[in-house]
Amino acid sequence: MNCREFDARLHAFVDGELDAGPMADAEAHVSTCPDCHGRANGERRFRQLLRRQPKEAVPPEFRARMLALARRERSRKKVRIWLGAPALAAAVLLLAFVLMARALSTGGHEPEMVGNLVDKHLAYAQLEAPAEFHSTERPAVAAWFRQRTGLRVTVPDLSPAGIQLVGARIAEAEQRKVAYLFYEKGHVLMSVFMVPEVGRRAPLAGRPMSSGGHEYLAQERQGLRTVSWRDGETLFSLVSTLGYDDLLECADQLRAERDRETRL
Amino acid sequence: MLRWIRDGGQTSEFEGVALVHLDLLYRAALRLTHNRAEAEDLVQETWLRALRHFDQFDPGSNCRAWLLTILRNAFLNRLRREGREILESDMTATEAGAARLEEASVARSSPEEDFFQTVLHGDVDRAMKTLPLPFRLVVTLADLEGLTYKEIAQVLDCPIGTVMSRLSRARQLLRKELVTLAREHGYSEESR
Repeated sequence: MNCREFDARLHAFVDGELDAGPMADAEAHVSTCPDCHGRANGERRFRQLLRRQPKEAVPPEFRARMLALARRERSRKKVRIWLGAPALAAAVLLLAFVLMARALSTGGHEPEMVGNLVDKHLAYAQLEAPAEFHSTERPAVAAWFRQRTGLRVTVPDLSPAGIQLVGARIAEAEQRKVAYLFYEKGHVLMSVFMVPEVGRRAPLAGRPMSSGGHEYLAQERQGLRTVSWRDGETLFSLVSTLGYDDLLECADQLRAERDRETRL
Repeated sequence: MLRWIRDGGQTSEFEGVALVHLDLLYRAALRLTHNRAEAEDLVQETWLRALRHFDQFDPGSNCRAWLLTILRNAFLNRLRREGREILESDMTATEAGAARLEEASVARSSPEEDFFQTVLHGDVDRAMKTLPLPFRLVVTLADLEGLTYKEIAQVLDCPIGTVMSRLSRARQLLRKELVTLAREHGYSEESR
């Protein structure tokens, strides 16, 4: 093999993609030709540089969504199989009634929404840096939302309660864009969700609570506390392991600032 | 055999086989779209298509190549829908252009190995973005994700010879771009 022939096979050689015969020829050439040897090494180091690039992983929330999609598709397939068998049609109907009754008894989809938000909180709480946009500046975060989604998002100042803004992200729940604010008290994460609502609005579930002249609904889920309320076309939900005192104080502050912004 | 032993049915096998490749799909989608939301959307579309056509997947064959093929097709369909189609003729022209460039300046040039030292975090990302789509894709698959030529040929639906020529041109272009960036950081050949 001469240099010209080696050149034509340089990449396949370095990638280990040559057949045994040509590979042996190429190795023999490299061992006697310092020039080609040097170039093969250069290519190798270039390859290493590329391989060393950080490998990004999918956001945990997204992974969970893909898993859920796979599960949903499975149940759809099952239903299709049943529909193919006339003898089971009655069973399917019965199942449909059972599902409907269950949906009604849990008050529709909103309790699912709060559960959904709790899942998000849990997924992001595992990350070192959960925010998509890191900032402790409230106006910057509000501007970021405006730019990205056109949403008017109130970013409350919770520092009097010792709770600091960390950042924000745009999440998605039930095909709606959700504004997601991250706050932190010490090392405890608090998530503030704002979900724009259009159309169907099932009643919110939870224990009624009141604070600062406002009404809230509280729910415990998976060891977390949630405080939720509606204001106009928006569902608000706070999720954290913090106590209800903290959550209600934050909720009151958020509402007060929201009212002030609306009046302006 | 495995698919008959498991009792979870076909979809649970889908999760078992496909979930390990989700990160890879996401990274490839990021390289194609340069946009997180769009990448997630593209992966979701790929995921759904793969789920629905999982009965056409041969369990003995290569799952990541199969998934990446779906991802590439979904992406090209999007471009077509948005009128941003990459025509095969454009691609040939790009490759010819790259080939000329290669002959003119890069072929058999001295190895610029030292510039590797000055490549900064983020340079590779920046340089990758300058590559035309077909080159970006082939480098992503080969060098960032470690696919074999055979797998890449399956994903790109082209002969292995095309993979090889495209890959070597893509690397030349990428290298050239990285040298340019390294020069901006103050690396100069005189200083070697």
